Formats: sequence, C-alpha cells, structure tokens
Amino acid sequence: MRKQLPPEMLARDSRFVRTSIMDQVMDPRNQLIGQRDLGSARLQPERPAAGDRARNLMHGIFTGEIQALEGAGRTTFDFDDEQAPFALKLDMARQCWDESRHVEISVELGAWIGTEIGEYSEATFLYEAACAPDPILRLCGVNRALEGLAIDVFNTMKEFGDLSGDPVLEFCEDWMLADEGTHVKMGSDWLRGLTADDRERRERALDFQRTVDKLFSLGGFRGETDENPIQLARKLRQMAGFSTDEIDELAEIALQAKADAEAMVAGAGGA
Amino acid sequence: MSDPYKPRAAFAPWDRRESPGLFTVEESARRVGTYKWLEMRLFESLGGWVATVPELDVKLVLGRHCYHHAWHAELMDKRLPELREMNTDRLCEPANDEIVAFVDALREPEAPEHTIEKLVGVFRVLLPRKIAAYTYHLNGTSRITDSPTQRSLGFMLQDEFEDWREGEMLLQSLIETPEELERATRRQQELEGLLLAAGGIAGPGTLGPVAVNEGASV
Repeated sequence: MRKQLPPEMLARDSRFVRTSIMDQVMDPRNQLIGQRDLGSARLQPERPAAGDRARNLMHGIFTGEIQALEGAGRTTFDFDDEQAPFALKLDMARQCWDESRHVEISVELGAWIGTEIGEYSEATFLYEAACAPDPILRLCGVNRALEGLAIDVFNTMKEFGDLSGDPVLEFCEDWMLADEGTHVKMGSDWLRGLTADDRERRERALDFQRTVDKLFSLGGFRGETDENPIQLARKLRQMAGFSTDEIDELAEIALQAKADAEAMVAGAGGA
Repeated sequence: MSDPYKPRAAFAPWDRRESPGLFTVEESARRVGTYKWLEMRLFESLGGWVATVPELDVKLVLGRHCYHHAWHAELMDKRLPELREMNTDRLCEPANDEIVAFVDALREPEAPEHTIEKLVGVFRVLLPRKIAAYTYHLNGTSRITDSPTQRSLGFMLQDEFEDWREGEMLLQSLIETPEELERATRRQQELEGLLLAAGGIAGPGTLGPVAVNEGASV
C-alpha cells in the first residue's frame, strides 16, 4: 500500500456520487437563488425548505465523517516513527474509532430524518485537507479546521433539533460535539508541542489552517450573519481551545470567502 | 464471630498462582517489545486501509479495530519501563527479518477490489497467531511476578477474540464464489508460509520452550 493516497482513490460503493466543491460553489443557479430575498438563511424549522436542507446537511455530515475517518487513518499510516511520534499516532487511531462511530450515528440520523446514502453528492475537499505531507499541517487542516467546522455544523444541527422538537437529533449531535472538542484539543496540543522550537513550521501550519478554513467557509456557508446557514459556534470553540482572536480571524476569513465567491460567480456570469 | 487476629495463609486455598514462571524479566520484556512493534504495524495498516475499502461496514470496522490495536501498543509501551527497559524504542522491534517480510506482505494490498486479501491477512492469519502467542505468554509467565503483563494480555486477548470473530464474519459474508474462496485460501497460504519462516510473531520459541541461553526456567 502506498503512502499518501490521493482523493480520487478514496474507495466508495456504488451508491456514492462524487462532485467537486468548485462545481458546487460555481453553480450558476446560486446567483439566481441568492437574488431571492427570503430573509434569514439560518436553518429554521418554520422555513418551507427546512426539512430538505436538514437532510442535505445530514448527508454532508455523513460523507464528511467518512473522510475524517479516512484522514485520521491515513495519518496513522503515512508517516514513519520519526515523522510522527508514537503518541500522535495513538491519538489518530483513537480518532479513527470516534469517526467510525460518527459515521454510524450519521447513517442512523439520516434515516431518522428521511434521507439515504447517495441521495446527495459527495465532494472530497474535507479529505484533501488530510493530504498535507507534513503531519503538523495535516493536524491543523483536519483537527483544527475540519473538526472546528464540525463544531459549527453540529451545533447548528443540535439547535435545529431543539427548535424543531427532535430530541433524537439534539441528543446525537450533542454527543458528537463532545468528541469534536476533544479532536480540536488534540490538534492544538500537537501544534504547540511539535513546533515549540520551530516558529517557522508553526506559521506554515497556521497559514495552511487559514487556507483550509477559508475553503471550509464555502463561499458564505459559514459565518456569523443571518446570511450564513451555519453559524460560528463561538462558545463551543472557546471550550475546545480556540482563542477569541482566532475566532475573530475565522469570522473575517468567512466574510472574505463569501465576497470571493460572489465575485467569482458574478465574473462567471458576465463572461 | 471469627477472630481477626487468627493467622491465615497469604494464599487462600483456592488461589493456585505460582512463582516463578517460564520467562525472565529480559525475555518477558523482549516479547512485550515485539508485541508492541507488531501492534503498531497492525494499527497503521488498518488505518491506512480504511480509505481503500469501498464496503462501508468493513470501512467502519477497520476504523474501530485500528484503535484497539493502538491501545494494545500503548499497554505494551507502558509495561516496558516496568521491565527495566527505560528506552521503550530499543525493544520495540521485529523478532527477525522474516516477520518484517510477513508484515510487508500483509500490508501490500491496496486496490479496492482486494478487501478479501486485506481481511484474510489480518483475521485468518495474524489474529489467530497473536491469540496463540499472547495465550502462551499469559499461561507461561508467573502469575505473581509478571502479573501486570498478564493483566494487559488479558485485556488484549479479549479484544483479539472479539475482533477475530467480527472479521471472520465479514469475510464469510464477502466470499460468495469459488473464485473468491480460492483467493482467500491462496492468500492465507502465502502469509502462513511467511509466518512459518519467522517462527511465529515473536520468532522461534513463540509457542515453545525458551532457548537455554535466553530463559531461566526453574
């Protein structure tokens, strides 16, 4: 088995349909949809499309958990004992188990709210964050950026469960949130530990995280305004170890991502 | 009312634990080091394979078992300093070159069509060998002097038995044609041959008497 498995080699059964994140963001229909003034973009039960949006999001959580599982698994394998300390690999193995459970939970929740595997497409941009050749960059991309996104998404879904009177959804998302906080802490601890004497490597890792965070903001999907379906979970992020400055910076990155996407779509439309 | 000051034996009549056992401190440490090395290579392989298997149930089982073997490696790593091996990396090594060849062959399959080959290597070859070696160590070492190793091996064996059963059931559900049966059988024979050459997962003596110059049977 080779080291460093590219995203196009992720193995899936026949139910899965793959797409690219750029195709999703650059879909010309987005511009027309964006022109409709329907009020808040938040996931709210009283909105007519809330059920379908929740199912779509749940399917995205499911495929994201598969990729998080695969990313953690590859980190146990791709690096030798000198590149990645034994204890780091143990953490990644533990994360494999957690992500396996999250996939199982997501499958059950998907069935619970009325979707099924393969109903929506899968983009592999989450796994791509787990392809960095430096384990510290990889941990920043996966454990701090991806798992940080998971905190925001799970908190949004937990609130949706609460608002819509769905205790099963609320219960399961809360349990997954607890795991994600642990994973973020793992990433932060290893970032500090492995770069304590290497400021340049730490900066490279944090730069990589910013890039991934911008990508994960998905052109305005995440943020802190009513136009963002997924809300930044400030309190939970602080509990997981993110500083206020880091969360402020992420909010800024999310705004930039939205502006960039709007400019790209407008440019494509005008071409 | 019984007299609390009446002398009693240190060992209750039903407690048949004995000391000494088959292994010296050094030999128990050597074996523990080889187990740690092998558990590491196994959890890395399972973690790496997760992305390469299309079957969703297999993917999730590999993710779960990956942690089991990482925990076993951690247990063995913690035991080594208690066996006078302060540099835990020194004894974390394969028993011989043949076991390295076996592990290289075990983790070689990558293609999504080779799930049977991946699972046969783990669940029909390696796990039964580990169960045998750990049981030999568990039964052979002193239940008093080496009790901490025994306790860890007991936890590990519990995982191994349950994981083996789960893996074997996956394999039985995946093997549906005579051709797939032939692939599984051929794969098992290839890997068994490599382990035979290695003398077992801890090298020659894995399941037998310890060589005179290595052990201190009393």
